Amino acid sequence: MNASLRIGCLLCLLTASAAVRADTTADQVKRGEYLALASDCVACHTAPGGKPFAGGLAMATPIGAIISTNITPSKTHGIGNYSQQQFADALRRGIRVDGAHLYPAMPYTSYALMDDADIAALYAYFMHAVAAVDTSPAQTSLPFPFDIRASMAVWNLLYLDARPFIPDAGKSAQWNRGAYLVRGPAHCGDCHTPRNLLMAEDSSAELAGAQLGSWFAPNITSDANSGIGGWSDQDIVDYLRTGRAAGKAQAAGPMTEAIDRSLQFLRDADLKAMATYLRSVPARRDAGDDAPSYARGQAGDQLASNRGVPLPDDAQRMSGAQLYDAYCATCHQASGEGSFDARMPSLFHNTASGRARHDNLVMVILDGIHRGAEGRDVVMPGFGKELSDTQIAVLAAHVYQMYGNPHATISAEDVRQLRAGGPESHLVLLARLGFAGAIVLVILFVLWWRRRRRRRVR
Amino acid sequence: MTTDLSSDFVVIGSGICGSLVARELAMRGASVLILEAGPRLDRGRLVAAFRNSPRRSDWMSPYPAVAWAPHPIYQPEDNGYLVQAGPYPYPAEYIRAVGGTTWHWAAQAWRLVPNDMRIRSLYDVGVDWPMTYEELDPWYQRAEEIIGVAGAENTGSPRQKPFPMTPVAEPWSMRRFRERLAPEYAVVDNTVARNSRPYDGRPACCGNNSCQPICPINAQYTGGVAADAAEAAGAKLLPNTVVYHIEHDATGHIAAVHYFDPDKTSHRVTGKQFILAANGIESPKLLLLSASDKYPAGLANSSGMVGRNLMDHPSTSLTFYAEEELWLGRGPQSPSSINTLRDGAFRREHAPYRLDFTNINQVFAVTQSLIAEGVYGAEFEKQLRWRAARQCNVKNVLEVLPNPDNRIALSAQKDAMGIPKPEAHYSIGDYTRKGAEDSKPHFARIAELMGGTGLRYSAEGNFANNQHITGTLGMGSDPANSVADSYGRTHDHENLFICGTGLMPTSATMNSTLTAIALALRTADHLLPANASKSAEHAA
Repeated sequence: MNASLRIGCLLCLLTASAAVRADTTADQVKRGEYLALASDCVACHTAPGGKPFAGGLAMATPIGAIISTNITPSKTHGIGNYSQQQFADALRRGIRVDGAHLYPAMPYTSYALMDDADIAALYAYFMHAVAAVDTSPAQTSLPFPFDIRASMAVWNLLYLDARPFIPDAGKSAQWNRGAYLVRGPAHCGDCHTPRNLLMAEDSSAELAGAQLGSWFAPNITSDANSGIGGWSDQDIVDYLRTGRAAGKAQAAGPMTEAIDRSLQFLRDADLKAMATYLRSVPARRDAGDDAPSYARGQAGDQLASNRGVPLPDDAQRMSGAQLYDAYCATCHQASGEGSFDARMPSLFHNTASGRARHDNLVMVILDGIHRGAEGRDVVMPGFGKELSDTQIAVLAAHVYQMYGNPHATISAEDVRQLRAGGPESHLVLLARLGFAGAIVLVILFVLWWRRRRRRRVR
Repeated sequence: MTTDLSSDFVVIGSGICGSLVARELAMRGASVLILEAGPRLDRGRLVAAFRNSPRRSDWMSPYPAVAWAPHPIYQPEDNGYLVQAGPYPYPAEYIRAVGGTTWHWAAQAWRLVPNDMRIRSLYDVGVDWPMTYEELDPWYQRAEEIIGVAGAENTGSPRQKPFPMTPVAEPWSMRRFRERLAPEYAVVDNTVARNSRPYDGRPACCGNNSCQPICPINAQYTGGVAADAAEAAGAKLLPNTVVYHIEHDATGHIAAVHYFDPDKTSHRVTGKQFILAANGIESPKLLLLSASDKYPAGLANSSGMVGRNLMDHPSTSLTFYAEEELWLGRGPQSPSSINTLRDGAFRREHAPYRLDFTNINQVFAVTQSLIAEGVYGAEFEKQLRWRAARQCNVKNVLEVLPNPDNRIALSAQKDAMGIPKPEAHYSIGDYTRKGAEDSKPHFARIAELMGGTGLRYSAEGNFANNQHITGTLGMGSDPANSVADSYGRTHDHENLFICGTGLMPTSATMNSTLTAIALALRTADHLLPANASKSAEHAA
């Protein structure tokens, strides 16, 4: 580094520190910025096309849309008046400055693991390096009984472990760093760990895969067949950095956002630490997974049955091979081997076709993929408009038979359901029934108590 | 007859111009109805039809004509739709379907050069345009941003803002042309509506080399994309509606259009403004068909110019074997050209032209000639490899001057719906022929620089047609010798507008689509300014 550059850097640091309070160092702000990236705050707290961290993104949940809030340091519309303790309470305990409870769409059960130093760094970053935006997004309004935020107090009592991360002295520093990142700021379990009836993560099935609207966040336990047990550390790091593990898998759906906005920015050492931890997560094998999902299938084509044969007049009667030839073969090639540089991946040796679950294969056909920063982004067009439910079911079945998991089944009804947003949730109904049930219990208890009293009086 | 439809704006034709005008108007809140004679097409089926066709070099084979809205088909035999009156054949190809002819193009999206619009003043040939290049520049830019244009800066067409995209990756063959022809000739990337990076939700070109008949991945913009965008913006599109008559009231105002459905039931559609965007052959045909007692020569035809001044870009060419292996066929079909002969004082004497290099895979053409030569067996394979690696071609793209005798008229023959077929009267003038002569030494020099052998010039007096149907509804400031003003408004009917390449008063040397789109966007802004509200549009 030459002298003038060094002086320039020094000046930058000086100006930066001049702008922040005396007890906040530039290093702390920088560390906070990194943690905010690792925690992917921006993804939920920014509306499409909106200003960073100004909130307004409506997140579809099984109980209705939860709208993210403004977390810029605006004193009128954001968190500008939060003390560091109040900030920590929101992050780790899900409690707003006015004492009201946050919904666990905010992953505070994960952020609860963050230590005081990291919380302080995040606070410094948000207070001093994020531009204040003086607007408020719309309020979240959920159906009864979830509109009663106090119900979350009960939920927290059941499901919130508010203790920060405790390192395991028996494990390496790398493992501990990985565990901290995966379970804390990066909140991987938020999507990948199945949830119980009341939407809390099922800690006995950590990262074993979970439905996420129309998409399925796959099993990423250390199981060799159902999870990532057969991936190398480098595969995992590549995937988290670029969205692709060569010859195994590529990111689609919500995972593209996690990579584009968060994971790709993490330091190599941190991604390696995450890989180390992920490979230690207890294996969970899904029924019927008799081979690694990334190792199924082989190259092949049915061109002989296509060439020179006119297409049926009714497009709904096109065969799987005809549909593949028409819509897929240009990029994924006639034999499913993908492009020479693997930008357009092979369809065999690919978890999208190798899993028995059809959610993600169907969703990719419906919605396509768009990931990566502009200029080096990867695009697969969606075919939801061009192809009917029947055609997609026939096409997906062809892909499974030719290149993927022969146990997978798919029907037009499955496609219809995913197109409509995924399996329906009965949580609202259950909660209402539960609430009604609780009232009945209270009434019964009161009756029983009064009768007992009456008996005693006698 | 039923009267069931009405709309503020009625657009006839869903090609790239009609659809983009409809999209603009619909985005501004207007009610827009698009009437398209042909059927809807589906990209995947086109791709499968092309791949499974035994006639893969026939780029029209995935686009069969439908009975109710035929278009010209020449292989395996001429369907006789475009009647040839001579003296020179004009075998134009186009597609009547939702999205129109640009389903099937090389996506050349060129601007003209400024002097193209002033050739009467500057060179005493042709006519001047009723506008300048500088006036059109902002709409060129808009058009390029909407359809996603990639290109090089040094083509002779000035611009105020950069291209939306950098050029598409240069194929090896074009790189070798560029390197071996420098510094004598500057070989530059063509200006194309083809993605060099993901753009507007469509992927980057990955070099399938089947731009014609169909880009299988939507990396190049098509009228199909435009029609989808128009519908997404709220325009209503009715396929299989064959407009056969435009109706005016006593004052000459357009009151309605009439269309046949495929069963030949007639329907009437009323509207406030009518936009005719049915291409340079079908649009004048429809105006001529709509003749009435008040307008016996057809609508918008007080000048007698409807259908006249038919222009295109004829080409002659040189095919040869390069000294080294070029392997044409990787990358897009038409990636590079020489642009230095598009303008100059020589335009007083002969046609200007662009020199264009093909990058179409040569295997099919070479196979055909080897079979014709009777080469078989091991020698066939050896020759096929050698020739397919080296065969290449350079052609000129020549300007044609407007000539009223070159025209589209109504034929006495009728199509299956009983509608008269279009009839082409065409000739190649001396100006163009002299331009072809002028290009020959350049062909020879290019072959020399490439170490070429086996030189084969196209047959003397033979011109290939480039399907750039231009000029049949020329715009101008004088209603006595033009059909419409610079906004496409017909001089004779204040609520009838024309969009498309037919409006262009001269053909210049460049593929005409981008200029037609820019003019169409300008028409849309004139009809309904971008900041106008719905109420303002009612006052218009």
